[in-house]
Parts: sequence; structure tokens; C-alpha cells
Amino acid sequence: MPVIIISSDAYRTGREIAESAAAVLEYRFVGREILGTAAEKYGISEAQLLQALDRSPSFLRRSSKLRKRCMAYIQEITLCELLKDEVVCQGLAAHLYVLGVSHVLRVRILSDAERESGQSAAQRGTSLGTVKKLLDREKTAQRRWSMDAFSSDETDPSHYDLVISLSQIDSNEAVKIIRETVGYPRFKPMTYSINCMKDLALSSRVRAVLWEKFPGARVRADRGTVIIETAALKRDKEKRVKAIKEMAGEIPGVDYVEVHVTNHLFRQAGGALR
Amino acid sequence: MAIITISRGSYSKGKEVAEKTAQRLGYRCLSRDVILEASGSYHIPEIKLVKAIHDAPSVLDRLSGGKRAYIAYYQSALARLVQKDNIVYHGLAGHLLLKGVPHVIKVRIIADLADRVRQEMQQEGVSEQDARSLILKDDEERRKWTLSLYGADPWDSALYDFVIHIQRFTVSNAIDFVCEAAGLEQFRTTRESQQKMDDLALAGQVKAALAMLSADVAVTSEYGNVLVFVGSDDRLARKLRDKIKTLIAGIEGINNIEVHSRTAVPPDAI
Repeated sequence: MPVIIISSDAYRTGREIAESAAAVLEYRFVGREILGTAAEKYGISEAQLLQALDRSPSFLRRSSKLRKRCMAYIQEITLCELLKDEVVCQGLAAHLYVLGVSHVLRVRILSDAERESGQSAAQRGTSLGTVKKLLDREKTAQRRWSMDAFSSDETDPSHYDLVISLSQIDSNEAVKIIRETVGYPRFKPMTYSINCMKDLALSSRVRAVLWEKFPGARVRADRGTVIIETAALKRDKEKRVKAIKEMAGEIPGVDYVEVHVTNHLFRQAGGALR
Repeated sequence: MAIITISRGSYSKGKEVAEKTAQRLGYRCLSRDVILEASGSYHIPEIKLVKAIHDAPSVLDRLSGGKRAYIAYYQSALARLVQKDNIVYHGLAGHLLLKGVPHVIKVRIIADLADRVRQEMQQEGVSEQDARSLILKDDEERRKWTLSLYGADPWDSALYDFVIHIQRFTVSNAIDFVCEAAGLEQFRTTRESQQKMDDLALAGQVKAALAMLSADVAVTSEYGNVLVFVGSDDRLARKLRDKIKTLIAGIEGINNIEVHSRTAVPPDAI
């Protein structure tokens, strides 16, 4: 059965819609609650994982290694959940990394900016203008975050199958639209789409395991064969290939490991100058 | 009972969706008719109007405001045509030109670039590279156009009620979405929303009439009470006050008209 991924410009709104859609369709809701499992599995604090999802990168720490590491773990745990089907997923940035799987319906919900600012102003006791500026800044930060973490602008509508604005359409109607849309035949899982999802899950699992020692490794999976690309100095090449093959080969679901090594040009140049 | 505006890029099947939606709902489908109406009402050659509303304003246009006058004619024609309700409009910036009317459903249909390129290659018999650059150029022109005239990016989903990625659906699915939205309570035409539409049409007519003197004005209407804002140009304000009666002669439905200068322009002004 299909998987629904919901993204929103406002976390609370997205969650509300996702939970309602899951209840109506009798699907399982997968949200940030699974971060606890990821934290336990990878020995990292849940707060750090949450921060990786929420915090916009500062100018100086744009590609902080920790955030990327956290995202690798979140990705692995989320994809593992999405393999189980009949899932509504929200709040885990899955719309940015679950790509090319035909039984996944990707929906973006745009909150009613006017209503949201009004509520926020009343709660905070500040002026509407101040709240609007604040919300705008938060949205820009979210956009920067998606660009930094996945080189993808999450506000770009072409990343979604459907974008629904709640400025005139209410939440119940949005849920109804999602329910009807997911019933279309093209969102039914097929062997090929299920295999695509399995490949994504396997590559994310391998990437998460390799992260500690080989953070720059790029991983791709194709029906049990895992292709890993990494950069190394010529003299380290063999050692690195062996280590990667050993680590990846132990992961359940991996039948064969292929490692492609490219020359680490900067380090090599540095070594030559020394 | 609603007005549906469908915004689309080239080869996104938006035209097909619009025409078939109109057919299913029994609505009138509008696109080129607006140009014909504007051209006929304001005595402008069709070709000149098409060029003015398609190409992004040049620096000279921005200074002279020439393009704004054409947009005012187009907006006025569009507002008058959709005023009668039960309309599907696909074409230029309907979501921006009909802003503030609650029973207007704003839909955008998008398609994958690769698919659009393929269609352009088939239709125009050009290479992949040429087809890609033609489509990107056209998209950029549209973007510049809306950015320079309305300060809005047509790719911003927040401008629409729905954005449908047609690649993942059939045309029939897209029609289902739009028709379902048209049946929603909040998009039904009410007496108040029709009044807003009538006011928009009236403001549009006044702005088009004044555009003969200057297109650099903003106009609002509330139950036929029309306000014209001219920014800080006192000379223009005086000139308008002198000639306004002549300029708006023949426009029906105006109860009162005032010209204001050095006053903040309300956000719903056109």
C-alpha cells in the first residue's frame, strides 16, 4: 500500500494534517517519535537529532559534520519505517531523500500565513508586523536548511505531487483530498517501486554504518549490490577499499560490495608539497 | 458557482485541463477572448497588446509606464468578462489580476522540464538543447514579468490554492481536483464576494480609463465609491481632478470618486 510524505512550511500544521490523514486512512503515522530509536541505535542524543532537523545552519558552520551525521541516521531510521507500507510520514525531511519511488505521494501543505501570524501574535503578545517578520525569517531559514542538507529547495513545487494552500481550504478538506489522491492506481506499490524503496533503505543503512570512519563516502544500492564511491590517497587506496568492504559486507541485505576510489586531489597535492 | 484561474507553463497540459474542466462544470472557458475584448474596448491593435503582456518590461517601459497601461486594459477586460461568474480562465496572471475575490480558485499546473522539452522538440522540430533553452527563456520571461509588475514569483506556491504536478496524475485526475474545489463552500459565490468582484471590475475600468493620462495610479472601489491614489505626484493629482469627470464618462456604477495624493495605498488597490 502507498506511502504518504507530508511536508509543510509550519511543523504544527503539517503534523495535524498528517495525523488526521493517518487516522482517516488507518495508516501508521511516522513522525519525530522515531528519533528516540535512532538515538539509541547510534549512540547520539535525541536533542542533537532534533536540532539537525530544526536548526538552520549558521553562516560559519554551513556544512557541520555533526548535522550531516545526524541526518544520515535519521534517513536510515525513516527509510526503515517506510519499507513497512501504509505509512504517513511527516517532520523527518523524507520529501528530500525519498526520491524516485512511484508509490510515494508527496504533499506540501502551506499554512494560512494570516491566521498563523494572528495566532502567534496573540500568544506572544507582540504586534502582527513583528510576528510576520519572524515567520518570514523562519521560512527563509528552513529553505536554507534544505539547500544545505540536500542541495534542494524544499519550497520548489516541482518536488511534490500536490501542493495545497490552507488559506482558503480547511484542514479536513485537505485530508479528504489526500485520501482520495492516494487511492489513484499510480500510487499503488509495484515490484519495481518496492525495490526502489528497498534500495534507498539499504544504501542509507550502509551510509549510516560507514559514517563514523568514512563520512564522505557516497553510497548507491541496486538489488543487494552496494556501490560505494570514496576519495583516498593512492597509498591508502587498498587499505580503504578493504576496510569499506568489510564494514559494508557485514550489513544484512548486502550481497556484494563494489568500491570506487577517486584520488584525493587536495591531500595528494598537499603531500607533494610537503 | 466559482471562477477558476489556471496558471500554467508551456506544455504542462494546463490548457487541456482548463477546457475539460469548463466542459465538465458547464462553465465558460476564457483565454484569448480577454485579449480580443481588451483590444476591442480600448482600440489597441491585438498584436501590440499580445507583445506588451507577454514580454517582461524593459527599463524604458518601467520608466514610461507604457506596459502598465496595457496591463490595466487587460485587467479591466478580464474582470468584466469573469464578473458574470462560472468561468475557467487560463492565461496571463489570473491569480494576480483577480486578487482579493474569495470565489476565485487559483490553480497552478506544473510539469517536468524533461517532458516539456520532449514535447517542444516534437512540436517545433528543434534539437534538445534548443528546445530546453526556448522553454527556459519563456519561463524566465514569465518570471521577470510577474516580478517586475507584481513583485511576485509565479513559481511561489503560496500564490495558489493548489499546485498540481501533472506528471504524476492524468488530466482527468487534475480535473477531479479542480471540480471538487469548485464545489467547496468557501469558493461559492456569495453576495459579498460578488460585490468584491463587481468592485474589482469597476476599479479596473477606472484604472484603464485613467491609464490614458497616467498608468501610475492605484485604484480601489467599495460599493461604487472609487478612490484613486497618485503617490506623491501633486501635479498629476491636480491634472486628474480636473479631467477625471471626462475620463470616466461612460463608466457605470460609480457613486463617488476621489483623487488622493500623498496617502498610503491600501493593499487591495489595483
